[in-house]
Amino acid sequence: MTFKKFWVMAYRDLLRNRRRTVITFVAIALGLTLVIFMNGLITGMLDGMLRDTIRLDTGHIQIRAESYEVVKTSLLWRDLIDNADELAARAAAMPEVAAVSPILWASGVLGTASESTSVRVSGIDPASALFDPIREGLRAGEFLSGNGRGQILIGQRLADELGVGVGDRINLAVGNPDGVPQEGQFTIVGLINTGFPGIDNANVFLSLAQAQSITGSGNRASTVRIMLHDINDTDKVVAALQTPGLTVMGWRQLNEFIMTTMETGTAVYSILYAIIFLVVAVIIANTLLMAVFERTREIGILAALGMKGRQIMTMFLFEATILGLIGSLFGIILGAIVVYYFSINGIYFGDLGDVAGSLAFGTSLYTTLVPANLFLMAFWMLVVIVTVSLYPAWYAARLEPIEALHAL
Amino acid sequence: MAAIELEHATKIYTIGEVETRALDGVSLTIEEGEFTALVGPSGSGKTTMLQLMGCLDKPNSGTVKINGQDVTRLNANQRADLRREKIGFIFQFFALVPVLSAYENVELPLLLNGVGAKERKERATALLEAVGLADRMDHRPDQMSGGEQQRVAIARALAPRPLLVLADEPTANLDTANGEQAMDIMARLNKETGTAFIFATHDQRVVAYAQRIVKMRDGRLVDGNANGSAK
Ligand SMILES: Nc1ncnc2c1ncn2[C@@H]1O[C@H](COP(=O)(O)OP(=O)(O)OP(=O)(O)O)[C@@H](O)[C@H]1O
Ligand SMILES: [Mg+2]
Repeated sequence: MTFKKFWVMAYRDLLRNRRRTVITFVAIALGLTLVIFMNGLITGMLDGMLRDTIRLDTGHIQIRAESYEVVKTSLLWRDLIDNADELAARAAAMPEVAAVSPILWASGVLGTASESTSVRVSGIDPASALFDPIREGLRAGEFLSGNGRGQILIGQRLADELGVGVGDRINLAVGNPDGVPQEGQFTIVGLINTGFPGIDNANVFLSLAQAQSITGSGNRASTVRIMLHDINDTDKVVAALQTPGLTVMGWRQLNEFIMTTMETGTAVYSILYAIIFLVVAVIIANTLLMAVFERTREIGILAALGMKGRQIMTMFLFEATILGLIGSLFGIILGAIVVYYFSINGIYFGDLGDVAGSLAFGTSLYTTLVPANLFLMAFWMLVVIVTVSLYPAWYAARLEPIEALHAL
Repeated sequence: MAAIELEHATKIYTIGEVETRALDGVSLTIEEGEFTALVGPSGSGKTTMLQLMGCLDKPNSGTVKINGQDVTRLNANQRADLRREKIGFIFQFFALVPVLSAYENVELPLLLNGVGAKERKERATALLEAVGLADRMDHRPDQMSGGEQQRVAIARALAPRPLLVLADEPTANLDTANGEQAMDIMARLNKETGTAFIFATHDQRVVAYAQRIVKMRDGRLVDGNANGSAK
């Protein structure tokens, strides 16, 4: 078959200038590796961010009163759940649920004699495994204990700002359901640094009982937060917990803002990928254009033999396809190795996280290997290569046979 | 039927302001099976004439007919079809495809013409034997001498069983012995296959092989040989 011969010719033509072919392979492979690595890094970063938020802040599922609005941190009884313990027990009975606990939120002002700052107050059950991640973030002192009376846990950064430390007494003012501020004196039992700014910068923790009493909320809670063993069970558990008058929200809904940011982020990164693809494309176009110039006379001979422009074009496109396939294969392998390596070992950023204070994902970045993405990137690489090769191939096809024969 | 007919064919090359009438109203008929030498001083228009006959180029005016068909109005693809089926080319440089072996070079026009595998093999092998290269089939062009390469080119030109073979100074890059061998082969294949051959040449020994001699000067035929056979 003629096509088979074209493949053979394309393949042998690539072997003629081995050095150039190898350099082109390397360019494709490295370009693809870079794109795959970037993709792994970004996916890893976003995954990590989401994982941290879920672990430290939102949980997989929350149950709230239908009228509850997070931004208002309302303490009105109609915005709170009055049978939180019962709901928690119902959820805890489900095999998919790993931990569940009610939380009471309030907005407050934390102050010393000279400084004050507004904070979000979280009333938590110190014994619940749900707050282990916060316990792990303890940098000094101890976690809330017992009924937590008179105890407060604050962020290390917050403590530094206010110039207080473990054992110091501090003032906390919160609103109560009637809007009348309630003030209390608390002893700082511990300082935390979870690496997650949303927690470290503007959060204080009281025991649930303590929070309920200072706000006069009885045994009500703002939310019942649930962690699952497997994030994929979210929809199922959400469905099972539906209760009239309450909203049951999954982690997607709870992290709507991050989810949209992720989507926009991904779009922005696509531009970076496109730039790398473009660089590789230019290299390919150059390689093939050089090949066309070198072989101008041969193209004339082939045309004299009656080969049509279309067929000459096909031959050069086959050449590009071989370059693209083999280069991409190396790129996939190399990219997978690099991404896999850093997904295990992480990329260490030193203490940058502490200095910048904005890294939600700690001081090491872990890449995420998504096999489907490897092939998606390779596919796009191939599409780009073949597309840019249309120009040199078209150029070759369009050569007039006599002009091609004159060359040399 | 005439293999090829030129009627008042004119080809003008324009470079900047300068116009060259490379072919100036030439009328010439070549019959099937003729063995013709095209002679004339350098620049007289021999190559230009072969290019028009070979459908590699179009005349500015006048017509070129191959087997009675006017080819001047054909588009690039149609001319490619015509070249593939009816015309073989032999060039001064040994114009083989460098990445293909001798056998594959001869086979290529057959592939392009859609000849079946078995017949391709028979015909390519027979032709390579006919040009004395049965033992060089798998050699690449760079593994063969100039004389051998030109014999492969002869075999390739004849592979599609063309109406005519156009050879532009086929012996110019060959030594005497190889040049004569190539001419012997072409003369023999001309008789055996009935394919017409037209040579553009300066070489008197090539001219000696010709049945008919067409003389050119300044893009015109030198009188007395415009039509019909010389012998
Ligand atoms: N592509 C071109 N552009 C401009 N002028 C050309 C071109 N090809 C040929 N000519 C001119 O046309 C004339 C005829 O050229 P042609 O190549 O046909 O001569 P020739 O008889 O084959 O000569 P030679 O024996 O040297 O090969 C010459 O004056 C040449 O300079
Ligand atoms: Mg010439």
